[in-house]
Amino acid sequence: MASGRDVRDMLGLPMGGDGQKSAVQKRAKAAAPVRRIQGVAREVAALYGERPPPVAVYEEKKAYRAKRQNQGPAKKWVQQPFVNQARSDGLVLKHWRRKPTTAPPVQDGEDTPMEDGESAEPYIENSADFLKYSIQVDLPTFTDEEYDAYLRSDDWSREETDYLFEVVRDYSYRWAVIWDRYDYQPANRSHLTQETVNGDASQALAALPFAPPKQRTVEDLKARFYHISAKLMKLRIPEMQMDAEQYTLYETLSKFNPELEGNRKLLAAALMNRSMDEVKEEEFLLAELQRINMAANRLDAEREELRARLEHPSANQQVSAGLASFTSSQALQALFSQLFAQDRSKKRASGGGTGPSRISLNTNDLIQTPSSANAQLSAAARRQSMATNQSAQTPIRTLSPQQEYRYNVSTHDRLTSGVTFGSDKLLKMRQAKSNVQTQKIAAALAELGVPDVVPLPTSKVADVFEQLIGRVGKLLDVRKVREKEEGESRVLAQMKERRGSSTQGGESGATSVEPQAKHEIPDSAEQTPGLDGDEDNDEDGDGDGDGDGDGDAEGEEDDEDAEGEEDSRVPSETVSRAASTAHKRSASVLSQGSVQSSKRARK
Amino acid sequence: MNTLNSSSAPAAGEYAGDEVAAIVLDPGYSTIRAGFAGEDVPKSVCPSFYGQIDSDSGSQYLFGENAIHTPSSNLQIKNYWGSDGIVEDWDTAAKVWEYAITSRLTGARAGDPAKNGLNDGPKENGNGDAMEVEMETIENQEKPLEESPLLMTEPGWNPTKAREKAIEIAMEEWGTPAFYLQKTGVLAAFASGKASGIIIDVGASHTSVTPVLDGMVLKKGVQKSPLAGNFVSNQIRLGFKQSQPEIPLTPHYLVKSKTPVDAGTPAQAIYKTFNIPPTDSFRHYQEERVLTEYKESVVEIWPGPGRLSNGTNDEIAKSMPGRPFEMPDGWNQVFGVDRFRAAEGLFDASAAITDDANPRPKDEHTLPRLVQAAVQQVDADQRPLLLQNIVVTGGSTLLYKLGDRLNYEINALYPSTRNKLIAPGPVVERKYAAWIGGSILASLGSFHQLWISKKEYEEHGANIVEKRCR
Repeated sequence: MASGRDVRDMLGLPMGGDGQKSAVQKRAKAAAPVRRIQGVAREVAALYGERPPPVAVYEEKKAYRAKRQNQGPAKKWVQQPFVNQARSDGLVLKHWRRKPTTAPPVQDGEDTPMEDGESAEPYIENSADFLKYSIQVDLPTFTDEEYDAYLRSDDWSREETDYLFEVVRDYSYRWAVIWDRYDYQPANRSHLTQETVNGDASQALAALPFAPPKQRTVEDLKARFYHISAKLMKLRIPEMQMDAEQYTLYETLSKFNPELEGNRKLLAAALMNRSMDEVKEEEFLLAELQRINMAANRLDAEREELRARLEHPSANQQVSAGLASFTSSQALQALFSQLFAQDRSKKRASGGGTGPSRISLNTNDLIQTPSSANAQLSAAARRQSMATNQSAQTPIRTLSPQQEYRYNVSTHDRLTSGVTFGSDKLLKMRQAKSNVQTQKIAAALAELGVPDVVPLPTSKVADVFEQLIGRVGKLLDVRKVREKEEGESRVLAQMKERRGSSTQGGESGATSVEPQAKHEIPDSAEQTPGLDGDEDNDEDGDGDGDGDGDGDAEGEEDDEDAEGEEDSRVPSETVSRAASTAHKRSASVLSQGSVQSSKRARK
Repeated sequence: MNTLNSSSAPAAGEYAGDEVAAIVLDPGYSTIRAGFAGEDVPKSVCPSFYGQIDSDSGSQYLFGENAIHTPSSNLQIKNYWGSDGIVEDWDTAAKVWEYAITSRLTGARAGDPAKNGLNDGPKENGNGDAMEVEMETIENQEKPLEESPLLMTEPGWNPTKAREKAIEIAMEEWGTPAFYLQKTGVLAAFASGKASGIIIDVGASHTSVTPVLDGMVLKKGVQKSPLAGNFVSNQIRLGFKQSQPEIPLTPHYLVKSKTPVDAGTPAQAIYKTFNIPPTDSFRHYQEERVLTEYKESVVEIWPGPGRLSNGTNDEIAKSMPGRPFEMPDGWNQVFGVDRFRAAEGLFDASAAITDDANPRPKDEHTLPRLVQAAVQQVDADQRPLLLQNIVVTGGSTLLYKLGDRLNYEINALYPSTRNKLIAPGPVVERKYAAWIGGSILASLGSFHQLWISKKEYEEHGANIVEKRCR
């Protein structure tokens, strides 16, 4: 009996009956003929032993590099003249190309003098290989009329605007370069300087009748260009017809703010020109912030983890598999340790009082020695890994609401430990805080025809029953309120009567009535609530007619009935049932008291 | 359309090379670099200094490394560059450049073997043919660049006049079919694979800082200063003169033989005697060669942090091991802190060695200030981009630890941006960066539409260079 299986179990080796199989396989392998390694002497091969050699031995055959294939005579190359298609002037340059083999080689010798004679007109290659790299930028264009109508500016002359566009084209929108090279000189001046280009520059300067042109910033240039671009764009395509891309372009163009841009650049420059100390300080602060964030995250994670562990006992996976899974000692060990841990955690939670223990944990978190922090971290990691393992073991299958209903699957926020019976649950619901209330509920249920013991206390029945009980509770509350109101209205009516009579009779009548009422209180207390129940019965008799069919409908009807009755009856009853007011009032007083007491208890 | 970026290699069809045997000419104050585009190093590197021997019959010019180092009477060593980093003597400049190109690159063209005369048998009387060939070669010699487009480099501050002169020489004297002029800054950036960046070029006569954006120089930001290789040489000279006892500086050509001596003791050498001693300019040039050797093997730049004069840095420098140097005449010495002082003037004007003839350099000419001024002239949005690509080039940047110091200084100036110094390791790439960039540019197929052709030059005149080469 103490077979290999048990030994395996004790040693914690994996189960499986393949032990003998593998032995068989090994033997078979050893028996297989050893493949001889070629190119190695037999004696040397014997030294290798049975195992394969640690270094792979490759058979080396005699192999030299393949002979270069002779592919006929050497290919001829020529300096091929070519023109670049990107150029307009037809510059002929030469590059080396394979000589085209169209001409038969026999004629070559004869033709050479001829070709040389014609070498002024050789074949010229038309090279377009690099045409794709010749890129022109797109620029908005405008006519004179458009300029006059829309694009005039006080700050910019037409000439300078043209010059700006030219520079933008030349430098392909590289604004930093454009600004660097932007050197507008009014027409007269450039004319002068061209004349005097070989003469003295200072003379040319002195001959200028006007001030040198103003310095423009990148933002000025951009603003002018974007402004014109936006206006032209709007002219060409009305705003309504622009597609999204065009419109965003239009928006960026029209919303360009040179001042804002200038300020931004100032800030950027200031940021760059910070001193070493400032930079170091910033770095330090950033590092500190990161450290704090990390610590906070870790703390949060630890607390979260702790809470999760305190609230949910880890479900025992193997219980679900049934007792069969507890056959191995490993599984039993695991179960034991789990139960032990659960027990301990429960003791801790219940024993020392939860508050202080939590606080002490928190302080532990806050004040950590490095070693304890490490220990906690590692523990947390372990727990986390355990948690992930468990989740990995039970893949969660999501069910549709219909399926859930069908298979009677229910989810619970919170599971109580131990076994409970559905009938207990139902019984508990019947019991209210006070005895009187319990009896009232029982009476109401009895009226409805609900038996004391519900035959099949399934969870669905329990749900419906719970709803019913809730409704009954509401009904009772409403009744109480009604009785109280009725009683008060009766008292007021009596007072009114008495006031009417006091004008004739005097004060003595009033004093004589009040003690009567007071005297009646103890009497009513003695009265059984059964009477009340009777009355109730009468009041909402029509509501009860529905019986115990649909809980929802019934409840609603009850509510409506109660309200309706209250509204309709209050005036009539105040008159007709003046006699029974004393009982009712006392009852309401009592029930009020009970409500208050229950509230106190809850608090 | 996929864009090309520097991180991915171009596909086989996308390698935009199209070599047209263009010649790239990169003249500098110290050397002239010339070679065919598409190659990785210039084939022809010859000194910008030339020898001139004046006689009654006229001036005789000597070009090339071999000619100008031979001591001979009344041989003057001159340079065609002006003091402001612009070519001054255009006539000689054209000659030196032509020498640089023709001595190694072009030269007599080997024609068709059928008729170049070499294979002519004695039986054939090819008199007429030979005449023709001669005529042709003469024509070729007259126009040395008939076959090759020429890409020339220029400093960032080159005036219009100089640019027009350059195209005139190329088109009319050399007969090049196509010409282009590009700034050294842009090309140095291309050589490092960058289209934008700040190029710090410490050459022989000038240091320049050039902001480049998308392959175009931002002219307002171009800075130059005379604190460069020659300045360092001068500092060393002054240091030698001011040290106690004075350190003698004897060039190689004066020494016939030498015997080893102890460090610091006077040299025991036999000197050569000349009937007519070579001119001062020749001696000066030869002394420069010794100083160059000294710069290469001894001079070190204080790598930071802080300047050499800050706090205890001086003491630390003193405590560092010295480096020995032996003069051509056998005098030798171990140089300690002096080797740090020689080049400190590049970064700290107040630390420069001065005397009456050599006043204190201006503060704004020091390297950090140049960079600062250049960055200041650039649009605020582009500054971080440029500071991420600081390309260091020029022969004088090979001074030991210059990169470290530059890195420190720039990070001290701009602590909040990500500053990256790109200083290629290989000496050739550092010295000839502009040429390499030109070689890359001129071998690109897409570049060929930018050439100024002879036809365009004839149509528009020399002024076209202003319009086309921006």
